[in-house]
Amino acid sequence: MTTPLSLFRSFLGGLGRASSGFAGHVGQISLLTVRIVMAVLQGGVSLKMIFAQAYEQGIGSLPLVLVTAVLSGIVTSQQGGYQFSSSVPLYVLGSVVASSVVLELGPVMTAFVLIGRVGARITAEIGTMAVSEQVDALISLGRDPVPYLAAPRVIAGMVVTPILVGIANAVGVLTGLVSARATMGLGQEGFLYGARMYWHSWDLFYSLTKAFVFGFTIPVISVHMGLITHGGAEGVGRNTTTSVVFMIITVLVVDATFPPLFLN
Amino acid sequence: MTSDVTIEYEDVYKRFDAPVLSGVSLSVMRGETVSILGTSGTGKSVLLKTTIGLITPDRGDVKIDGQSVYHSSRAGLRDLRRTVRYVFQYAALFDSLNIYDNVAMGLDPETIRSLDPPTMLDRIATSLENVNLDPAKVLSKLPAELSGGMRKRVGLARAIVGQPAIILYDEPVTGLDPVNAATVNRLIMSIAERTKVTSIVVTHDVEGSLEMSNRVALLDNGKLRFVGSPDDFRRSEDPLVMAFADRRAAAAAALKLIEHDANDDEAGSAHAVSIGV
Repeated sequence: MTTPLSLFRSFLGGLGRASSGFAGHVGQISLLTVRIVMAVLQGGVSLKMIFAQAYEQGIGSLPLVLVTAVLSGIVTSQQGGYQFSSSVPLYVLGSVVASSVVLELGPVMTAFVLIGRVGARITAEIGTMAVSEQVDALISLGRDPVPYLAAPRVIAGMVVTPILVGIANAVGVLTGLVSARATMGLGQEGFLYGARMYWHSWDLFYSLTKAFVFGFTIPVISVHMGLITHGGAEGVGRNTTTSVVFMIITVLVVDATFPPLFLN
Repeated sequence: MTSDVTIEYEDVYKRFDAPVLSGVSLSVMRGETVSILGTSGTGKSVLLKTTIGLITPDRGDVKIDGQSVYHSSRAGLRDLRRTVRYVFQYAALFDSLNIYDNVAMGLDPETIRSLDPPTMLDRIATSLENVNLDPAKVLSKLPAELSGGMRKRVGLARAIVGQPAIILYDEPVTGLDPVNAATVNRLIMSIAERTKVTSIVVTHDVEGSLEMSNRVALLDNGKLRFVGSPDDFRRSEDPLVMAFADRRAAAAAALKLIEHDANDDEAGSAHAVSIGV
């Protein structure tokens, strides 16, 4: 019979298993990170593979990042303009758009694009290699999967993500400016005046640092989830979904951790 | 075949949800071919994977040329693995690499760096020819463009290109039609004869294993139930061994029936030709 006490025990049991599982993932990801660093220090990572991954992650993601950046800039500009129309000088919109895009929307929206496009693909790709014994084959041939599979993807992510975020920031602010001029009559000078008024150079550093951290966490989580995949096609599907959930939560937690650490 | 031990399984235990290996001990001599038989799920592939540390046993040890796989440094284990090649059940070729690059992965990185491109190409082409594949036709193809039988043979080529001392075969003929299975079995035999490599073959193909092996081992419920020569296997009074042998007999009887039918068909065709149909 189900009693409140048994339900509570079951809840505590579930919580304990989830915590243990989470701690296990954190430990394995930490170990993977150390091994990636060791592989880089020992010079065992192929530059050709890093370039191939950087091309795939960077150039391949650019169109979607641009679309997201354009829409982010337009939406921020439109909604800000709607709220400021009666009480606040319209030129403040320049500051709102620049700050929103650079501090938050540019890095986070780009991270979400990379989770969907790059992270899910990495987990599915390496997961398929794991269930079809290609990872075992690599090990049996005396090759370590870390410098072959993990390190090129993680290094490429750390290089490419700040560049993509920089582009997304510029495009977002530009489209915000164009949108404000087209629909609210706020001229270029007014928009830029507002943007400069509250601008801190630190904001750009903050944005790119956040991008660098996202560029590390997305591939490292996706590689880890790929490497531990088992159970055939179902296992690949399950781990890809779990990986995407982990990456989204991690990006949001990192995003929430940044302001108290760097903006106060 | 010399008499020194090259692979030694010492009381190997492995448990997943249930016990899989329950104290397996086996010595494989240099240059010997040993087949491991057993029903599905008895731990044959698990035992094979413990040989090079792809699965770590809960207890026991595996030694290659006296060196422990599980008490070696990371570099020591890497060096051990370089003397061994593993032929996977479904070949496990790298999807994103063409056949040239897949076979080249069978060479050590140092060897790859030391070979000039023509020598490297020659070596890869030779190993493909040794498994009856035409290098000109397959070198630039991706694994997905090849049939299952061809992929298995590329897996063999990748295993032999580095001239290893030991080759481990995990169900090399599973999923192949009888013609391709016989081809792969013949290749395993010819590789063993030509290169004097030590081979362990995990297989369900009883007939093929009795033909190609110096010794046969039967794994049952995680323990070795029989180890002996193919002749001992055929003469064994053990019910399970007899069941395996009976299946072989049944298969042989079925083959005879097929041959008989084919002869009848040929006779019928010849008759039809002779009467001008």
